[in-house]
Amino acid sequence: MSIQNPGRRKVIQQLSAVTLAAGGGMGWAGRAFAADPVQLISHRYPALEFWAGKMKTAIPGVEVNTQLMPFDKMGELVTIAMSSKAPTFDIVYVIDSSIVSYAKNGWLRPLDDLWAKYKKEFNLDDLSPTAMKMCTYNGKIYALPGTINVMMLYYRKDVLDGAGKAVPKTAAEYRALAKQLNTPARAGTISCLKPTDATLNEAHWYMNTIGQGWFDDKWNPIFNNERGVRAIESLKEVTQSAQRGFASAANDECTIALQQDAAAMGLQWATRARSVDDPKQSRVVGKFEWAAMPDGHARVLADGYAISAFSKQDPDLLFRIIATATQEANMREASGMLVPPRRSLLQDPDLRAKNRFYAAAGQAIETATPFPPLPEFYAVGEFISRRILQGVTGEMPVKQALDTAAAETTAYLKDRGYYK
Amino acid sequence: MQLTTAGQDAVTPALRKSAARRARRAQHRRLWPFLLPSALVAFFILLYPLGYAFYLSLFNYYLDTGASTFVGFANYADLFTDTRFWAALTRTIGIVVAAVGLEFCVGLTVAYGLYRLTFGVRALNLLMFLPHIITPVVAALFLKWIFAGRWGLLDSLFATFGFFAPDWLGDPAWARVTVVLADAWQFTPFMILVLFAGLNTVDPSQIEAAQIDGASGRQILFRIMLPSIAPIIAFVLTMRMMDAFRYFDTIYVLTGGGPGTATETVTMQTYALAFRLFQIGKASALGVVTLLIVLAFASIIVATVGRRKGRT
Repeated sequence: MSIQNPGRRKVIQQLSAVTLAAGGGMGWAGRAFAADPVQLISHRYPALEFWAGKMKTAIPGVEVNTQLMPFDKMGELVTIAMSSKAPTFDIVYVIDSSIVSYAKNGWLRPLDDLWAKYKKEFNLDDLSPTAMKMCTYNGKIYALPGTINVMMLYYRKDVLDGAGKAVPKTAAEYRALAKQLNTPARAGTISCLKPTDATLNEAHWYMNTIGQGWFDDKWNPIFNNERGVRAIESLKEVTQSAQRGFASAANDECTIALQQDAAAMGLQWATRARSVDDPKQSRVVGKFEWAAMPDGHARVLADGYAISAFSKQDPDLLFRIIATATQEANMREASGMLVPPRRSLLQDPDLRAKNRFYAAAGQAIETATPFPPLPEFYAVGEFISRRILQGVTGEMPVKQALDTAAAETTAYLKDRGYYK
Repeated sequence: MQLTTAGQDAVTPALRKSAARRARRAQHRRLWPFLLPSALVAFFILLYPLGYAFYLSLFNYYLDTGASTFVGFANYADLFTDTRFWAALTRTIGIVVAAVGLEFCVGLTVAYGLYRLTFGVRALNLLMFLPHIITPVVAALFLKWIFAGRWGLLDSLFATFGFFAPDWLGDPAWARVTVVLADAWQFTPFMILVLFAGLNTVDPSQIEAAQIDGASGRQILFRIMLPSIAPIIAFVLTMRMMDAFRYFDTIYVLTGGGPGTATETVTMQTYALAFRLFQIGKASALGVVTLLIVLAFASIIVATVGRRKGRT
């Protein structure tokens, strides 16, 4: 027996509308007779705030109402609205993992026709193939990238020079160096293991350098095989040299540890590079250098904007808003806040000189590995990240923790129609 | 037919009683419409969602795809065989007992201190109530900056004296202690306020009589005052217990349920099931189970404290 529940949909639609009205719809009251504003929902960090601002002024006369919030919260609201096919949001912030998930559910509008129409006007061929690959699902384009973000090695050149150490070239060297640089006052490395996203980001590098990845080609978990166990054992060892509070630290806490001279090196997103050179926030201006992670395989993602399949707005208008906001001139203006997904900008000598981290970011992108294109990866990541942490903090042996996560993952994916 | 005087005497009280009953019923019938708005609100806000949650708990329903299959009580069976659920439940009970116990002990001590105090009571009461009037998420953010490793307020204080504090949020055992302390910081003022108000309702003549009989301050507190406010204690413990069972926002901000599952309570698990795994059926089942557990605990507290009151 199955239910097709119009009542449920209706309730969820109404809830979404109420949430939206409470969260950002204040502007509606005074413009009862104007055209409906375009609704944007997005995660929030400086580059995304910049894009949201540009969208507001992208097309004269078109009002764009922006709602920016933490990633998890945004994911919840998008899921509630989209699962009920509500036209609550028109433009949705997406990353590679959410693109596969939302596109699989039919929540996003394919953009191939609009892409072809506006390719020349917005010089869309300049967008890097790496970014475009991550904005594509089953051969169709679903998003326009605003940033290509990659995790890379941050290291204190002065500390390494003082200790007579070179930049690590392998995962084993990284582990050894973290231990050597560790002191009570300054951790050898940062570690960001707050579940779910941060844990997956960091474990991804270990799982792809020491381990053999997360899944085989039939989506069977392989993260609990011998090399996977070794990978998490290695992560556990590195956390012995990490800053206190690492198990509840996400990107913000780790960035602060770097800025406040509380750690000598670590794995962190390229979009955070500028902040360690910002004298208003950092005690170590000019002391950090960057490199691709030893042995490569750090996480890379494209984040950008997609159009809701349930939007009542003109898709052509929505596409032009996104494309205008993320056009080359604006991307150049925002270059210090992000790694531009346009090849011309990433190779631009002026920008490379202005943004010291570009060279390392470029190398990191070449050797990086995205998350597995499994639409349910974030869902199963809930089990995986918590079990990894149980292994790392010693609540459970690593092997047992990973086996438990693998069993939970398999059961979940089986329930969702895999392995038939 | 004529009734005898004796017969009249026997029948009249019965008739009077019956007439009084009829009058009461008529009055109640007139009052019912006044209850209707509240009943409707209670139905739509409490009973309908509860019934709907129970209905959803009978389906294997995924929020993201909308796929839904009737599975009867399979979600409940899955939960009861899930080690993570039992671990979360045990942990929740531990956190609730520790937090509410701490709040009650500290709350009672401070309330008694305020009761005995002869000046500055109002100002102190107001100051102590401050943590309770801050929005829980904002309070949790304050606490995060207090307990944060290395640059947090506590760590900095310890570092000033050359100590390195424990990893408040990163060590599984300390993380549990921290979430208990966080809850106590926020809700002890509520306990103080209610218990202080309760102590002030105790009949002074009883206390004076006990003093004349030579009772010590401790005897007066435990033998007279606390039994006198037993219903208030039952109320405040029940309220706090129900609240603590739904403890979510502070844990969400402080530890996200981690490290690992060290601070994962049943509400955190419900959240994970609904919004990370999209298993609405299973999350609804867990919600219903949580409600029944809280109901059972509340009944036990009310019955226990009520019985004690009866004995005294």
